[in-house]
Amino acid sequence: MIDFFINWISIVPSFAAPFVLAALGLIICERAGVLNLGAEGFMLVGALAGVGLMVNGAPALLSLAGAALAGSIFGIFFAFMVAGLRINHVISGLAIVFLAQALTSLIATQQGWTNNPISGLQPLFSDSLSDILYFGPILFGQDIIIYFTPILCFLVAYVIYQTTIGLKLRAVGENPHAADAAGIDVTLIRFLAIIIGGAFLGLAGGYLTVAVSKIWVDGVVGGRGWIAIALVIFARWGAWRALTGALLFGCIEALIPRIAAVGIHVPQYFLLMTPYLTTLGVMIWSAIRLKNDWSQPAALGQHHIREERT
Amino acid sequence: MLRKFTEKNNAIMSDTNYPSDKKRDFQIIPRLEVRQNSPEWLRFLIYTISLLVGCVCAVLVMYWVGINPADLIQEISILLFSGTRTIGAILAQTAPLMIAGLATAVAFRANFWNVGLEGQMIVGTIFATFIAIHDVGPDSVRLVLMAVAAMLGGIIWIAPAGFLKLKLGINEVITTLLLNYIAFNLLLHLLFGAWKDPVSGFPHSAQFDLVERLPKLGWENLTYALPLAVFLVLLVWWILSFSRVGYLLSFVSSNPTMAKAVGAPVLGLSITAIIMSGAIGGLTGFAIASGLEFRMTRDFFSGFLFSGVLIAFLGRNHPIGVGIVALFMAILVLLGQSLQVFYQVPFALIQLIQAIFIICVAASEFFLTYRMHWRN
Repeated sequence: MIDFFINWISIVPSFAAPFVLAALGLIICERAGVLNLGAEGFMLVGALAGVGLMVNGAPALLSLAGAALAGSIFGIFFAFMVAGLRINHVISGLAIVFLAQALTSLIATQQGWTNNPISGLQPLFSDSLSDILYFGPILFGQDIIIYFTPILCFLVAYVIYQTTIGLKLRAVGENPHAADAAGIDVTLIRFLAIIIGGAFLGLAGGYLTVAVSKIWVDGVVGGRGWIAIALVIFARWGAWRALTGALLFGCIEALIPRIAAVGIHVPQYFLLMTPYLTTLGVMIWSAIRLKNDWSQPAALGQHHIREERT
Repeated sequence: MLRKFTEKNNAIMSDTNYPSDKKRDFQIIPRLEVRQNSPEWLRFLIYTISLLVGCVCAVLVMYWVGINPADLIQEISILLFSGTRTIGAILAQTAPLMIAGLATAVAFRANFWNVGLEGQMIVGTIFATFIAIHDVGPDSVRLVLMAVAAMLGGIIWIAPAGFLKLKLGINEVITTLLLNYIAFNLLLHLLFGAWKDPVSGFPHSAQFDLVERLPKLGWENLTYALPLAVFLVLLVWWILSFSRVGYLLSFVSSNPTMAKAVGAPVLGLSITAIIMSGAIGGLTGFAIASGLEFRMTRDFFSGFLFSGVLIAFLGRNHPIGVGIVALFMAILVLLGQSLQVFYQVPFALIQLIQAIFIICVAASEFFLTYRMHWRN
């Protein structure tokens, strides 16, 4: 029994990390008032970039950096659509997901990256440390991104709440017209927010393939982008709360393959539904519980045109 | 009155915002002005230009994956002019696409972003297949029962998202998409379990009996799925354009706050549109299972969410527009299939082209709404 728990808990962080990273990227975007429904697409692009670099012989960390870069380059495109051309946030988000799904599938097939196993990211510490009884695998069996993730959480929370740029970001998300009147370049802030958020989302996707699945199949992200969007609402746009929520989802996802292994018989496909069902449940819970909660950025999903202000 | 005031206000503001000491003739980022009205010819012009840009991008993408424009033209002409067989195939493909576009357009009309079409198709088809497998009801009404069951399944699958949106304000894009994943797992559970084909053991349902298939039209391989689709288009057109519900619905979609203020039953109208969308979504699955493939397969729904959104979007959420765009989409899909066979390009190419068209048409909206000023 204790082995089961150690085994389970030690695998949770690597399932939770993509959710945390994606949620951080979404928080940055949405704090600036950009409703980023394209998360799934950004993650796919990052995931493919990670695999592509690894297949071509790049080291794991460089591949992850490349995934983040691919995410932010994709972000430029999305930013141009949303902040530049002022296309409806929902439509541009959906279009971005469609585009990314098709583009990644096409490139992966053309380049022969599909079903091509890669070596992937290895744990940071040597085996001797992670062989320590009970806590060894949990504390020392993780890879570098896992240890890095709380630091990123801290950084995002710090920048959003303690710095001038964070203040500008929030001002743009709460009331772009007032922010504009105060001399903040709304379009520029939104551009930057999407590009930096895109880097986080790309990294999240890259982590999925480089460190978790270690292989590319079409649609490898499997709805995790949508779950991350729900997670951000659940976390009320707070970085640390997103970390907690992501751990919850990590626990569930890590449990799925283990339930069958210990001999509890639940139909396989019903088990695979659980992350999505949990997400629905969490969204309902947040909506009921936080009915009078004002943490959602007030201008989320609204465009800003200087000439339109009244 | 108010508009005049704001106009004046804006004029004053833009004067103060652009002080005259910074004299530049040209600026890189244009100043935007909201158009007060956009004439019909401009609408048409911009829409046409965006489609042309989309076509150019599509040809470029095809060239990138190794298909020459000359080969492309040849493939298209084979598809269109090589006899009735390919025309029949195109029309057969048009039927489900038309219904899928309608399902999406109806929801979009009510500002409900239904991206759960695939989930609604799956559950609708599961319901219809249940009737077919268990031979519910007498043979003579079996098809009607299946269609009703499919609509019911679609409604059941859109209802939670609609309820959560209207009652709790939960974003329907996320809920409908999550429901897609749940429906897909449900489908796999059935096809790999209880409903596996008893004859071959493959993961698709047993073949439908003759009474459970939509009857043939007698021309090529067409079935009554096409008349059904055309009927639905005309029905929805009537509802949206000529009935009281449609009139009020257009009111709601253009200005919900105003509609509420003058006492239009906004909630009831939204519910009607959502239910209609779900029911038509279920019928899409029925049209494929009963009119095209004669069984429930593992991936009968794939790509329809994509196509549905695109068709609704290009057709401007108008039923007749949807019908016309669906025909072109069917040509595109068949073109993709033949390219897949003869040039070994993945089907994702077609989806990429669809995504490009969505982006082009969405971007064209910008030029309709705003006028750009490059000079100070």
